[in-house]
Amino acid sequence: MSQLQKQFGKIYDKYIEKIYRFVFLKVNSREIAEDLTAEVFTRGWESFHDNKCDIKNPQAFLYQIARNLIVDHYREKSQRQVVPVENVTLPERGASLEEQAILTSDVWTVKAALENINEDYREIIVWYYLDELSVPEIAKILNKSEDAVRVQIHRAIQALKGEVGGV
Amino acid sequence: MTEKDLIKQLQELKEIKPNKDWALLTKRQILPREESVRHSVFNTFAVFQWKLAFAPVVSVFVVIGLFGFANTTVPGDFLFPIKKAAEITQVGLSSSAEKTGVHLKLANRRLEELSGIAEVNKVRSLAPTIKEFQDNMTEAVNGLSSMDSATFKELVVETQKLEENKQRVESVLGVQIGGETEEFENQLVGYLIADLETRTLGEDEQKLLAEAKDYYAAGDYTLALEKIWILSNPSVSSGQANK
Repeated sequence: MSQLQKQFGKIYDKYIEKIYRFVFLKVNSREIAEDLTAEVFTRGWESFHDNKCDIKNPQAFLYQIARNLIVDHYREKSQRQVVPVENVTLPERGASLEEQAILTSDVWTVKAALENINEDYREIIVWYYLDELSVPEIAKILNKSEDAVRVQIHRAIQALKGEVGGV
Repeated sequence: MTEKDLIKQLQELKEIKPNKDWALLTKRQILPREESVRHSVFNTFAVFQWKLAFAPVVSVFVVIGLFGFANTTVPGDFLFPIKKAAEITQVGLSSSAEKTGVHLKLANRRLEELSGIAEVNKVRSLAPTIKEFQDNMTEAVNGLSSMDSATFKELVVETQKLEENKQRVESVLGVQIGGETEEFENQLVGYLIADLETRTLGEDEQKLLAEAKDYYAAGDYTLALEKIWILSNPSVSSGQANK
């Protein structure tokens, strides 16, 4: 195995859970999350290989790919909606039985609330509270100032809190 | 629900994890060679690849080892042809003026080998080594005529050493190992005397040259060489004169 493959193998092992969770909480489908996550790492490997591992922040890089793919996914999804109804396979909504068994009812409530808040707020909550990215790391991914990120985290958690109360 | 509880509940979402089998399979699909190479380290093909990769290095070590080992061989040994090939190369790479000197050194090496052969009583190597010595001496004699007069002096020391070695070997073996040495000394002394006669010499030097010529005429080339060597080395020459 080449040195590049070894290095990317380590990156894969380190971030696969985070990226999968990030994607899953956005698309809310295990199958779609798996497909998109696999695509994230495939594209990540291609760039990593082409750039001879010259990627300074692999985590930010993978999240960025994931975000783009999710945007593409929803764009395609919205385009598919013009297709006659009888030809459409409805995307899976909600978690599988296995996932439902893992999560308690309170957590399930939070997850449902998370789905209903603003996309940007959801993203930043996942990064900050679940994936435990630091404010500077999030600022780099979003290309925003750290203060702006702090404000957004605060607003996001307030929005989630309001949504949980409303669920 | 307080903010603290909310964050606590949020963090429980960490339980959302990809299926391990899926994660492993995806990794294999993205990095296909990773697992296959790991499992094929002991495959024949992998071993073959390793062998190929190390072939140049191993070849170099084998050649170095062979030459190193062959260097200790004597004529008649299995690996002597390798040593002989190296010597032929050495002669081939030297200029025509240097060739006689190289042959003389090789002849000396054969004499040293003969001493070793006599010590361990390696009888079967005796004849081929003497033959090699004689061949080297013949080559040295043939090369003398094409030498520059200025380089004759460089052969004097090697010739004296050769004479000493030859006498020692002959006394140990109890046999004469050829007249090529005398022929070589005869020609070398002849050339040296002819060269010295063309030069302007001091009184002491002229005396030494006269002695050398006497020894040469009497067929004692060893003593003639000794006088010429003294004559050619001013420091020794002056020491002799003081005596």
